[in-house]
Amino acid sequence: MTSPELLDPELAAFITGNLSLQLAATDAAGLATVVRCVGCRVSADRRRVTLLMPRSQATPVLAGIAANGRVAVVFNEPSSYRTLQLKGRDARIEAPLPEDADALQPYAAGFARRLAPLQVPEPYVRTLVSCSPEDLVAVSFTPLEAYAQTPGPHAGRRLAPGESGA
Amino acid sequence: MSQPLSLDRLRPCLEGIVPSGIATCGVDGMPNITYVSQLMYVDPEHVALSFQFFNKTRENILANPVATVLMMDPDTAARYRLTLRYLRTETAGPLFERMKAKLAGIASHEGMSAVFRLLGADVYRVQAIEAVPGRELPPVEEGPALLPALRRSVDALAACPSQESLIDCFCTCLERHFDIRHQMLLMADVPAARLYIVASRGYAQPGTGAEVPFGVGVIGVAAREQVPIRIMFPASDYAYSRMLRDQAAASELAGQLETRIPLPGLAEPASQLAVPVMAGGRLVAVAYVESRQECHFGYDLEDALVALAATLGLSMAASLCAEAAEEPVEVRGAPPSAMPAGEPVQVRYFNRDGSVFLGDDYLIKGVAGVILWRLLGDHQRTGRSEFSNRELRLDPALRLPDVCDNLEARLILLQRRLQERCGWLGIEKTGRGRFRLVLARPVILLAEEPA
Repeated sequence: MTSPELLDPELAAFITGNLSLQLAATDAAGLATVVRCVGCRVSADRRRVTLLMPRSQATPVLAGIAANGRVAVVFNEPSSYRTLQLKGRDARIEAPLPEDADALQPYAAGFARRLAPLQVPEPYVRTLVSCSPEDLVAVSFTPLEAYAQTPGPHAGRRLAPGESGA
Repeated sequence: MSQPLSLDRLRPCLEGIVPSGIATCGVDGMPNITYVSQLMYVDPEHVALSFQFFNKTRENILANPVATVLMMDPDTAARYRLTLRYLRTETAGPLFERMKAKLAGIASHEGMSAVFRLLGADVYRVQAIEAVPGRELPPVEEGPALLPALRRSVDALAACPSQESLIDCFCTCLERHFDIRHQMLLMADVPAARLYIVASRGYAQPGTGAEVPFGVGVIGVAAREQVPIRIMFPASDYAYSRMLRDQAAASELAGQLETRIPLPGLAEPASQLAVPVMAGGRLVAVAYVESRQECHFGYDLEDALVALAATLGLSMAASLCAEAAEEPVEVRGAPPSAMPAGEPVQVRYFNRDGSVFLGDDYLIKGVAGVILWRLLGDHQRTGRSEFSNRELRLDPALRLPDVCDNLEARLILLQRRLQERCGWLGIEKTGRGRFRLVLARPVILLAEEPA
């Protein structure tokens, strides 16, 4: 079964725009765990989203994904507070592509630029999202559900396919 | 072998400077992740999360009470995962008020004041803390070392012989040892549910005698809840000028509140901290400090000022007991002083609120006004200028609200207000429980309303 296309080009551009990224997984006992990610890419057909993270920081998350494939990822644009959550049930742990390591520095620089207006120093941001290429691991999934989470009473509203959630 | 991680050492992560993420698991086994507006330190075993809206996190936590929080140190970028178990939601009381005030700062920091209404403080037990590996920046050492500053301040307070010296010493210690530039000390008038300034530092006008009702602003909430209130970002909801105007006008205190002495304070403080000064479970005063710099007062400074305030409160109580024990019933022996020469000044008194005007200038009202009126009357009738605290305490006309009332603090207020407003009339302490009225010009006493 192929899922309906959840990400329109605007949403795909949004989530790959050097945002604050956190990914959650669950274990068999019902405990969720979380890791900060250091990059995001979307497949050409926009059906597959891949998050990059330091393997050394993601141990419990990777164990959960290996066991059940369930993930939730939150994307936050610090300046606008626009926040989106994607969920999937078919997550896989993958080796990173060669270009993923090349994307680490541009992601850190872009994320630092987003936080500069909030007086967050660039060395802080670079430290927060630092990852050696050898430590990099990828998790990809098909987003099945999207939720708008921009702070406010409508946070948590499920988005229809193609809806922006802005 | 390193020590196990303690939440006490990770409190900077809980200031809301870098947003934390919280991951929960639904009954269907699906994870959910969201950013947290506020994660607050409660004690070494507990944290509280702000509950503002009913959302998926809340739905999950009510069905499956375990969660993981990822929090970041705002200086070093060190990351920690906390395993939490939800215990309860508090919708009123000290923890709720602390969180509400803090959230107001975070909300206005994020331009979200209108949508950030606190419904409850969700209390969680911290079951595990995991340091997430990765690069860190070196820790930042800012401001004075707090334990030595506290030690020096406690030593200084211990050497103070009187209420007045305790008040001044406390303010000097905050300036000198804690490098605090803007501060007020407000004495509590518990029966009247308000506070009045006895000392302030760092403002163009000292505002001695200005009042804050319990429950209003950072100071008033700290007094009502008897809990420190600390805000790390500018919080328009807790700005005094507007608060006082709006809330005082609406309250039953509207007619009684001191409004003619403007409250000092920074127009837009970026950091605020109000610490209740307690003695044996009773509220004595509130110490308030503020700064134009964001994130200026951290958890550790709050701890240091709470400890110093405890010393101040107990020292004030001890000093009151000592003074009361030595108070003479009546002061005799001093010869009546002659009425001074010079241009007479009209002193007008309004019995309704105890307000006193020197000429056309407003001086003070309330208990301090009634005291001054009585002293001037006595002086005019008998020529007396030496008085004792005890005779004031026993005088029903003074309407002292409470047997335990801090009369000494009211005399200090009166003395300072006179010093600030007038060069020819004053009171000065002449010993424990006794003082002198000093008058350099003749006065004409006019009671504007019948007693």
